[in-house]
Amino acid sequence: MNPEPIAGMPTRRRFLAGAAVLGAGLGAGFVLAACGGDDDDDAGSGTTTDAATGTTAAGANTTVPGEVSSGDAEIAVLAAGLEALAVGTYQAALDAAGAGALGEVPPAVAEFVTVALAHHQAHLDAWNDVLTGAGAEAVTEPNGILKPAVDAEFAKVTDVTGAAALALTLEQAAAATYLEAQRTLTNKDAILLAGSIQIVDAQHVSILLYVLGEYPVPDVFAKTELAVAA
Amino acid sequence: MHLLGRRKHPVDEHALGLLIEESQDLHTDAMVLARSTVPDLADLAADRRLSPSPADPLAIEDFKKSRQSLAGQLGVALGGVLGLGLVHSMFADSAAAADGDLDVMQLQTAVSLELLAVATYEAALTLPFIADGNPVIVTFAETTMSQHNEHRQAFSAQTETLGGTDQTATNPKYTPVVEEAKATLAAPLDVVNLAATLEQVATETYLANLNRFTDVTARVLMASVMGVECQHLATLRAVGALLEGGAPELIAIPLGAGVAQLPAAAGSVAFPEPFSGVTMASPPEEGAVE
Repeated sequence: MNPEPIAGMPTRRRFLAGAAVLGAGLGAGFVLAACGGDDDDDAGSGTTTDAATGTTAAGANTTVPGEVSSGDAEIAVLAAGLEALAVGTYQAALDAAGAGALGEVPPAVAEFVTVALAHHQAHLDAWNDVLTGAGAEAVTEPNGILKPAVDAEFAKVTDVTGAAALALTLEQAAAATYLEAQRTLTNKDAILLAGSIQIVDAQHVSILLYVLGEYPVPDVFAKTELAVAA
Repeated sequence: MHLLGRRKHPVDEHALGLLIEESQDLHTDAMVLARSTVPDLADLAADRRLSPSPADPLAIEDFKKSRQSLAGQLGVALGGVLGLGLVHSMFADSAAAADGDLDVMQLQTAVSLELLAVATYEAALTLPFIADGNPVIVTFAETTMSQHNEHRQAFSAQTETLGGTDQTATNPKYTPVVEEAKATLAAPLDVVNLAATLEQVATETYLANLNRFTDVTARVLMASVMGVECQHLATLRAVGALLEGGAPELIAIPLGAGVAQLPAAAGSVAFPEPFSGVTMASPPEEGAVE
């Protein structure tokens, strides 16, 4: 399925510039040491330790200790904003479904929305751990540039198919953004965190494609065309 | 897909054909983009060949730590200081070799996994209960096999671009596992479970590799392939759950009104955790050229 950008969604070329704008509030010279320090000492509860590097893999409770560069922090802000947007959108879908505004909701779709919402909340928490661990403020608001466009699209949704299509676009954009981030992230654990979330978001995409009647693995290589673009 | 013509299960062949064609078009675009980077990669490869220490020092140090840890365990197993010294010496020599470059080793291991995946799907397609079974599963196996072959080619090209030797053998750890499993494959669910295992190994291996790469192009390539293998895994998990739940008729594209019949679990079985782990990841040296 060719992803249709949400009206107003910035292009990939604006990714870094947009991220820089979002990250501007973090201040110049933002190279901070996070709360941990030693990459080898972070095998806390719920985490998985990479046997080769000793760094923390993305487990149920993901933390990103160590140095966080300004570029990484900008990506963390961007990612958290996207996750907050996803949380808000899925919550709106649940509310609309509960109010009967989407018609009859199949059990699998209801389950998907509930689980995806929980996943994105966990992702948001993980990125906020990165930010607060580096001395920055947590992100609590959705990405301000995308939210108006997403809200406008959501206002047009009248059924489950419409909601699923909007969710698909958000998930594709998130997965693409995490892939794009691999070009610039430098913190080893942030690289792993972004990759770990990219996987789950891409899997959300597959199930949404299937529900929408599309082939669930349409691309030979994951793409970055929909990368946000803050 | 001509194979769909003789299937018993409902499928919108035209729509599915369009989807596959669209996917192939997208792939063509992606390959054009990937190939456009080859000249730059060739330059990088030349630089690396000239450099006695091509990898990032921090990455080498990280990998040395893991090697030393492994060497320590082996040394203890050998039961003596002499044994420990020999093991350390062996790994030190290996790391200095051209194919001992960590980036290259990870790419070679990835190739070994892709080769095994291609061989496994190819073998699955010869099984009567797959070849004459659900057309969506047949199309998935054919398409996925093709995608893995493309991944193999991309990893091989990157290996050679970085000055390494292309891996031509299937993964040494999982090849015997697959060979042993082949004898027990008696139903589609068996094949789905075997394929899911390989896809999970590939997904988690590529995830674990990401922060060890010094070559950013290789990292992005592997993340891109990872983003597809994980979708294979998600699809197989969903298909497996439907087979296990006795609802093979819901394995159809498009599913149409069947969406309402999907069990609730179909909405979550494909992604059991909010974060992917790396517990099944293969280490960099597992499929490296020796």
